Amino acid sequence: MNERPTPPEGSEARFRRVFAHLQPVADYAARRGSSDPEAIAAETMAIAWRRLDRVPVDDPRPWLFVTARNLLMAERRRSSRRSQADRALARPEATPAVESTDPAVTRALRALPERDREALLLIAWEDLTPARAAEALGIAPVAFRVRLLRARRRFARSLAADGLPNTPDVLEVKST
Amino acid sequence: MNAMDRLRASRPASVPIEADREALFDRIVATPPSGAGARPARRRRKLVLVAAVGIAVTLTAGTAVAVSTNLFGWHTDDTFIKDPRVWRKLYRDATHELRLPPGMAWPYRTLAPHTITNRSEPGGMAVAISQTAWECYWTEALRANDAQAAGQAQAALTDLVRHHMVVAPAGSPENVAPPAGTRPPFMIYASDGGLGYVKHNYALAAAGDPSGVAQSCRANRGDLQVPPVR
Repeated sequence: MNERPTPPEGSEARFRRVFAHLQPVADYAARRGSSDPEAIAAETMAIAWRRLDRVPVDDPRPWLFVTARNLLMAERRRSSRRSQADRALARPEATPAVESTDPAVTRALRALPERDREALLLIAWEDLTPARAAEALGIAPVAFRVRLLRARRRFARSLAADGLPNTPDVLEVKST
Repeated sequence: MNAMDRLRASRPASVPIEADREALFDRIVATPPSGAGARPARRRRKLVLVAAVGIAVTLTAGTAVAVSTNLFGWHTDDTFIKDPRVWRKLYRDATHELRLPPGMAWPYRTLAPHTITNRSEPGGMAVAISQTAWECYWTEALRANDAQAAGQAQAALTDLVRHHMVVAPAGSPENVAPPAGTRPPFMIYASDGGLGYVKHNYALAAAGDPSGVAQSCRANRGDLQVPPVR
């Protein structure tokens, strides 16, 4: 007999709390340039259900973002293979990794190394605390703070070089 | 407006999900709830049987050791080291139990001046060095498509996870130590899912995705000189 296993008691209620973060996961994927953020969010949730015992219930967002990021990387690999195949047809290249509503910010973000950019965006766009963001990046909170400080400094410098005058934030970062 | 405020203000607006959320929820929970559920029942039964026998053997052997040593369970370790020579001796002993990637030498480490620590810390440091070195090596091996080197790294890290990494009970103090039968060197993880995350990264790498181990390598390698994959 090949029965489908029944979920443990309370699994659905637990998963519902995780599932409540569907929209933030879709937003995360969209802001990282996914061509199909809804599909990424749905797949992330399906994985969360299959591995529910590993998903922290108090705040599952770091776990969900890590999973979504891995799916995004797979999507980009597929897209990159496709664009190689389509090059003869002069199709546009893969979508950019990040797109903001402010062109200068987009340029400054693209100038950052990916890990610095991700540290900044987890705080500024995804509203994670530094401790949660560290979890999402798989590094110690202390290492994250150092990375964030460096990223803020580079970002502010890059923005300043693009025409923004030195701002209190730049000074604040330098004095920290 | 400062740079961080400008960054926050530039966040693209949320695009509401068009799909029927309840239908999606129902579709997901209608699938098997865990990875194990996807396996064929016969294989699952076999795994359960093997696991049950393994647990029984482990429990029997573990209890025998615990009773014979009369030291059972986690405890606080109040034996501190303050002499750098003692620290280096423990670190050196640990390095004899652990492996590094081919061509790599153990870096010099010692106890910082005016510092005390407990006796398991030098061994934990050696485990962390070995772990980071193999993670970096694995990342390189995957990027270089070197299956042999990748397999070597995977085996070394599996050994580290199995024999040299332990999870302290939830709520343990800083100076917690594992049961006395635990063979050093070991690294103690807090009970916050950290080791689970490490294993998750290794599973990804085993499936050919180096992102997790690469991340950990970058974050932790510091001054470690990991030789290139040959």
